[in-house]
Amino acid sequence: MADQVVVSPVWSGVEQQRWRRLTATWMLVMLLLFPVLLLLGAFMRIVQANWLPTLLPEWFYAVMTLHGLGMVGTWFVGAMAAVSYVLTQYVRPSRAISWGTLAATVLGVLLLLVTTLVGRFGVGWYFLYPLPFYPAGVWPNWATWMFLFSLAILGVGWTVWAVDLLRAIARSYSLRVALAWHYIRGRTEPEVPPAVLITTVSLISALAGFLAAVIILVLSVLEWAGTGFTNDALLMKNLIFFFGHVLVNITMYLGVVLVYDVLPRYSARPWKTNRMVAIAWNTVLFLVLFAYFHHLYMDFVQPQWVQVLGQVASYFISVPAAVVTIFSALVLVYGASMRWTLSSILMYLGVMGWAIGGVAAVIDSTIAVNLRFHNTLWVPAHFHTYYLMGVVLMLLGFAAHFGQEVSQQSENGRLTKIITALFVIGGYGFLLMFYLGGAHSVPRRYAVYPQEVLQGVDYARIALGFIALLFLGVVLYLWETGRRCLLAFRTSP
Amino acid sequence: MSPVAVFRLFLGLAIVVAVVFLLVARSTQRVREVDYKAAGQARKVFFFTLTGVLTAFLGITLPRMPYPREGVIPDRVVHVVGKQFAFAISETPIETDAQWEEVTSFAPPVRIPVGSLVEFRVTSFDVNHGFSVYSPQGQLLAQTQAMPGYVNRLRLRLNEPGRYTVLCLEFCGSAHHRMRGVFFVE
Repeated sequence: MADQVVVSPVWSGVEQQRWRRLTATWMLVMLLLFPVLLLLGAFMRIVQANWLPTLLPEWFYAVMTLHGLGMVGTWFVGAMAAVSYVLTQYVRPSRAISWGTLAATVLGVLLLLVTTLVGRFGVGWYFLYPLPFYPAGVWPNWATWMFLFSLAILGVGWTVWAVDLLRAIARSYSLRVALAWHYIRGRTEPEVPPAVLITTVSLISALAGFLAAVIILVLSVLEWAGTGFTNDALLMKNLIFFFGHVLVNITMYLGVVLVYDVLPRYSARPWKTNRMVAIAWNTVLFLVLFAYFHHLYMDFVQPQWVQVLGQVASYFISVPAAVVTIFSALVLVYGASMRWTLSSILMYLGVMGWAIGGVAAVIDSTIAVNLRFHNTLWVPAHFHTYYLMGVVLMLLGFAAHFGQEVSQQSENGRLTKIITALFVIGGYGFLLMFYLGGAHSVPRRYAVYPQEVLQGVDYARIALGFIALLFLGVVLYLWETGRRCLLAFRTSP
Repeated sequence: MSPVAVFRLFLGLAIVVAVVFLLVARSTQRVREVDYKAAGQARKVFFFTLTGVLTAFLGITLPRMPYPREGVIPDRVVHVVGKQFAFAISETPIETDAQWEEVTSFAPPVRIPVGSLVEFRVTSFDVNHGFSVYSPQGQLLAQTQAMPGYVNRLRLRLNEPGRYTVLCLEFCGSAHHRMRGVFFVE
């Protein structure tokens, strides 16, 4: 049967307005949570700088849990909302499901706030089994139950959302077409926009990750309900890191969808799917399932061939990203009649942050190196690089683009330069302190640094100066973009 | 390669990436057509170079994996059990909570002959912990996870005498940062 694409009917003006209102709401939630979560991160560095010596360490760990979960969740939903808006050019996802997911997300976040800030539940964002069941006298039983319940709410909401987006794609393109397999065979018809291809790859991976999360929740509840059943710690660790790794990576890929769709509008050059793009993203779909093994290198009982597979997959998943997406982004911009606005600058910097964070991640995915870097500050260094200076900038770039497109308000060029400078200096300065800490053996996730690694205190203090610059940049960004998104919300019915 | 040398390598590569992005951004000051054929050639070179470098690094680093090799017999075996919030380190097996209490409360620190190949058999009685060995100068030398239900075997040859500190490198609860152990090499 010949591959066909069912072209979605053009949205009516009212429908477009409704999508804009929905997207503006999501963007406002994202932009509201970002500075709050950033301040929670700053709070952690203040504690590590020994500037709150009387604070009980459990507060540090509760805030650490909230900061991690909050950031991972915020950027995932932000990316999903932005990608949904972009995809409405080609397919028809359900607005009702997106609104429903927003409600589930708000409820889940409220429960997480109570769990961590009232219950002092402090297990880190990936709640490594069996820590939630060993509170050491800090958090009460209800906090663990509420935590599992909030994860279930978020998980159900996000899974339904991902399934609906895939359904919308499959309705216009078959999944085989959406994955651009015909491009691999040398055909270019029917045309598949990169946004459709990458979103399909990301969402299939997301569903695999969410399935792992469901298994974790079920196994945890089974054990904790007093059935006498005990979980296997290695199996649970594999499931947890598979889920966490996939969630973080697909957020990154969804950010890349935005770059593929938005950046060409500023460079006045097309960025289309071709054979190489199709091969690259199908390779990613395959390799992302195995790269997570690098989180378990220090579990020496894991079979050695699995560890080798982890390093091989982690190394070669960087090739399609670098050779296809990052290289193509550079070609797109090289010598172009570029419109440098806040949106295009942030997106371009986001691709750069992805590249630099990728270098650090590949280094850390070397087993022999990981022996001395695992769970040091090198870990937050590299994931903050491709998060904060990667996908976050891509998403802030999208929000700026969206706000500008809807509000039609002209941009303050001087403010754009100041915001860019503050983001680059504040962001990379903040990261450098993490990298130096990792290179000098400072552990991650320590509320207080012991004598052996006291240099961590100095790095935390210097980092706070850079965080202040970054925060100022965020405030100015919110002034520029937040009010435009607010206007978009108000002017859309 | 020491962690500081790895950091320098990373910094160098990061600067190269940043310079490339800066130069490409500056190129937009003079608008020109893209020579897609030349770009395709450059992409091919980039692909083969990157793949070659990664393959070379795989070849260099995989033989240096820290996992124990069968057929090599360690000079000493040291048993380690993590439990919120201390490491029990002993030359005799630790199998019960009472033995763990005794070792962490009363036993003198383990002493290892300098230059001997020691195998740490590491496990946990509760949650996951990270068994990490810090040199007398405070440098992280090696680590493995302490996992309930499993024993990870970490082999090390310690050629420098002195006091070695064990810190927990897997977040394990409210006193994670205080969890430690100690042994001597002499």
